[in-house]
Amino acid sequence: MKLNIDGLLVYFPYDYIYPEQYMYMLELKKSLDAKGHCALEMPSGTGKTISLLSLIVAYMKANPLEVTKLIYCSRTVPELEKVVAELKNLMDYYEQQLGKGKPKILGLALSSRKNLCINPEVSQERDGKNVDALCHKLTASFVRANHKRDATVPVCSFYESYDAHGKEMPLPEGVYGLDELQEYGRKKGFCPYFLARHAITHANIVVYSYYYLLDPKIAEVVSKELSKNAVVVFDEAHNIDNVCIESMSIKITRRTLDKCQQNIDGLSKQIQRLKDCDAERLKTEYQKLVQGLRDANIARETDVILANPVLPDDVLKEAVPGNIRTAEHFLGFMKRFLEYMKIRLRVQHVVSESPPSFLKDCYQKVCIERKPLRFCAERLNSMMRTLELVEIHDFSALSLLCHFATLVSTYAKGFVLIIEPFDDRTPTISNPILHFSCMDASIAIKPVFDRFQTVVITSGTLSPLEMYPRILDFRPVTMATFTMTLARTCICPMVVSKGNDQVAMTSKYETREDVAVIRNYGNLLVEFCSIVPDGIVCFFTSYIYMESTVAAWYEQGILDQVQKHKLLFIETQDAAETSLALLNYQKACENGRGAVLLSVARGKVSEGIDFDHHFGRAVIMFGIPYVYTQSKILKARLEYLRDQYQIRENDFLTFDAMRHAAQCVGRALRGKTDYGIMVFADKRFARADKRSKIPRWIQEYLKDGLCNLSVDEAVQVSKRFLRQMAQPFSREDQLGLSLLTVEQLDQEDTKKKLQSRMQYV
Amino acid sequence: MDDQGCPRCKTTKYRNPSLKLLVNVCGHSLCETCVEALFVKGSGICPECGTALRKNNFRVQLFEDPFIEKEIEVRRKILKDYNKKEEDFKTLEEYNDYIEMIETLIFNIVNNIDVDETRQMIEQYKRENKDQINKGRNKKSKDEEYLECLIEQEKEESSLKRKFIVEEEQREKDSKKKHKEALLDELMFSDRSALDILNEHKTDIDKENELRVPVMATTKFSTGIKLGAQGPFMSVPQQTVELFTYSPIHLDVLGPDPPDEEALETNGYLRHIRSASDEEKGGGFESKLACMRALLDAVNGLFYLPDQV
Repeated sequence: MKLNIDGLLVYFPYDYIYPEQYMYMLELKKSLDAKGHCALEMPSGTGKTISLLSLIVAYMKANPLEVTKLIYCSRTVPELEKVVAELKNLMDYYEQQLGKGKPKILGLALSSRKNLCINPEVSQERDGKNVDALCHKLTASFVRANHKRDATVPVCSFYESYDAHGKEMPLPEGVYGLDELQEYGRKKGFCPYFLARHAITHANIVVYSYYYLLDPKIAEVVSKELSKNAVVVFDEAHNIDNVCIESMSIKITRRTLDKCQQNIDGLSKQIQRLKDCDAERLKTEYQKLVQGLRDANIARETDVILANPVLPDDVLKEAVPGNIRTAEHFLGFMKRFLEYMKIRLRVQHVVSESPPSFLKDCYQKVCIERKPLRFCAERLNSMMRTLELVEIHDFSALSLLCHFATLVSTYAKGFVLIIEPFDDRTPTISNPILHFSCMDASIAIKPVFDRFQTVVITSGTLSPLEMYPRILDFRPVTMATFTMTLARTCICPMVVSKGNDQVAMTSKYETREDVAVIRNYGNLLVEFCSIVPDGIVCFFTSYIYMESTVAAWYEQGILDQVQKHKLLFIETQDAAETSLALLNYQKACENGRGAVLLSVARGKVSEGIDFDHHFGRAVIMFGIPYVYTQSKILKARLEYLRDQYQIRENDFLTFDAMRHAAQCVGRALRGKTDYGIMVFADKRFARADKRSKIPRWIQEYLKDGLCNLSVDEAVQVSKRFLRQMAQPFSREDQLGLSLLTVEQLDQEDTKKKLQSRMQYV
Repeated sequence: MDDQGCPRCKTTKYRNPSLKLLVNVCGHSLCETCVEALFVKGSGICPECGTALRKNNFRVQLFEDPFIEKEIEVRRKILKDYNKKEEDFKTLEEYNDYIEMIETLIFNIVNNIDVDETRQMIEQYKRENKDQINKGRNKKSKDEEYLECLIEQEKEESSLKRKFIVEEEQREKDSKKKHKEALLDELMFSDRSALDILNEHKTDIDKENELRVPVMATTKFSTGIKLGAQGPFMSVPQQTVELFTYSPIHLDVLGPDPPDEEALETNGYLRHIRSASDEEKGGGFESKLACMRALLDAVNGLFYLPDQV
């Protein structure tokens, strides 16, 4: 259908549209017009992706000068494929409507070498790092130079032919998913990975992972040349702050340092060898370094595996400090730094320190100044290139140390060093770890906000919305949350706060060992197993809590009772085991009486796996999933947030717990024909501060009467709900209410109704 | 770390957890008991390399690698003398060359390459730059100052914060108590319905909480000058006066070029000028000067057109 969104003609590839999609597009258009950033929350399963794509594509077509590019960031490869599929759908619709052949739009997906490589030898490798290393072995510029001299040196034929012909030949218009890229590469004999990397500079729509923009090590390589007039979309962005923080944090253990020692020994041998046979090369490198860093590595695209963390540009233009210019001096320098790190790791109690005091101590102990430290990462890069090392993968420990050196000397604020002599769980075994942890999510994402004119942050659960601009430090022009318009009440949230014996149910630390609480939780599960058809998913707050509870249930005979009704599956920390459990859970849901899956909030199951329709008719949240609060890193971050952004510890902890809880229960509902029960089994959920942080589309149905139920009452409510939901439900029932046609959209009263579905924050 | 051991008596840290390794200037380690045994007289030679050592120069080995220990020892000594900072150089390149030279010196001494020559060079440098060394001894580089300033700032902030938190807690406690008492009083003595009173109190408290926006104490003056710590902004300004370089004066005569000095004599211009008397010559006057001046005056402004300007 063709829509008129605030004066913009939008082609929408479906016959009907959800009201919230229409509103979503309106808001999006507003922020595009204003050239500002926005944060939008819309429930999952209401077609965020297609609304985003169709509006932005239409906008690009109407204003080709103002918006030249759409960068769509998603988290996982399956999600990426979904976006590409929607995009193809949209393009087909354009073609069919306009009838002038394919629209002139180039869209493509970019992923790692592992997913794109078509070289028969390299692509057999399963581990991503190995693929990268093998690729580098075949495509690095010095390897190719050697190949020219000596034809027996193996190179990648796909890269060679791409390098010879592919660069001038632009990719024909169309939409290329990962498979299409591979196919095109095979047909032409080009390397799809480098083809895609090259093509993103002139593509109209790019779909790739968060890390290509947020991780400074990768962004520097891949996303450096994107134009300013681009729209960046972060989908499923509820965890974006954690992604930002992870990409800037570094963990160094004693084993890392031992490996560094080996690396340095290896390097010094290599240097000695090079000195004996080809001293000229070291000299030319030296000359280059005297001139300045940037000249030394004029973007040789295949060489940049060990990229550097964000360095301010003025540093990059400066020449390398004199005391690490020659290779031997640099190795000596690294040795000293390594020894220093070793004595720092020899601690008896936890140390928490800021980067400036670390640097000062470093200067006093081993006479290392701040400036040469900043150049470590770049200097190592240059050295690796000069030595023509092929197995870059082996030197990952040393490059990690160099990154650490660069980061610690570049950022004085927003980071903390925490040295723990042992793991919290095993206080007798010495296992020193140095965490260099970023506390400010805005550091990694700041370049993105500064650089692009519009950044859209969107997800199914972004509550509370006002927290995100604060922790990411940006000023949105629109912040809005949309609820789901439903033709029938197909979600049934409730807070179960006490058992039948009136003992309060809570996962509070003081009472979580209480037998009565555990028994009540068990009763709740047993009761629900007997009334809910098909699948039930349960979430615990942590693995430890799940283990102890399940052990207690076993002793109390609750598990036997559960198994009278359903099969039981448990998520474990092992990924392979978990995916097997999931597979069998789904099998069990499709046959017989269904199954129960016990899993953990923040685990693999809670993120990214959908339990739509019969896979999840009920979700039970046992307790509030607070993060482990005793961790030193978290404490440091909380303190930082309070000082820098005036966010109170408790506010942040509750926010974090509630967004995970919302993620978990949100797994059950993936569309408007779906239905599910959401049970919050903890009396603390009923408190105003927690309740108000649940996403609005769930909150709407969480009436006061459903906020303080006992197990018995909850069962009654669920029974009634399930009976209602079992009635036949067709599209006609939805039309006009939660599904609209073009004609209905134009009516005056629907517009009024639409307004009420949205709320600005 | 456990495999560290004394090279002489072969005791390891694993077998004797209280093992204490010591190291001397030559960079070879020995355990405490061996040192006691070998250096009874107060001096002796290193069992590894034969260098003459003194007992009171032994110190606890800090690093795992005794080689690094030695290097840092050497480095400290050399840096004491070679203490110029980046600010002392005109260009970055010179500074970079300078620190590379230091690095080479250290590298040579530590790795026993041309030790004597290097030591001589150092001695020579010391003699030549005595003043400079003394002057620079207590100076800190810009980077160090910057770091110290940051650390100072941190300390200040954390102490302020601690105070702030304590105050905040106290105030919260007080206000809670006050509100509770007021509520009880009112419930006891007022004739309004209990629900009304409760609601009113609730809104009162909410309002108060809203009003109390956390105000962080400012730690800086509005001018940006730090309190207490003497930051890089307050340091004595470096005297960086540019040396005078001569650049020839350019005269815009707006006319044809006057003949140059040599032409005065050869072309006979001087004939029309009174030659300078002896007294005048003594004062530095030459007839050329007057002639030149007259000629300049003559050509000056010949091409000048009022409407062009």
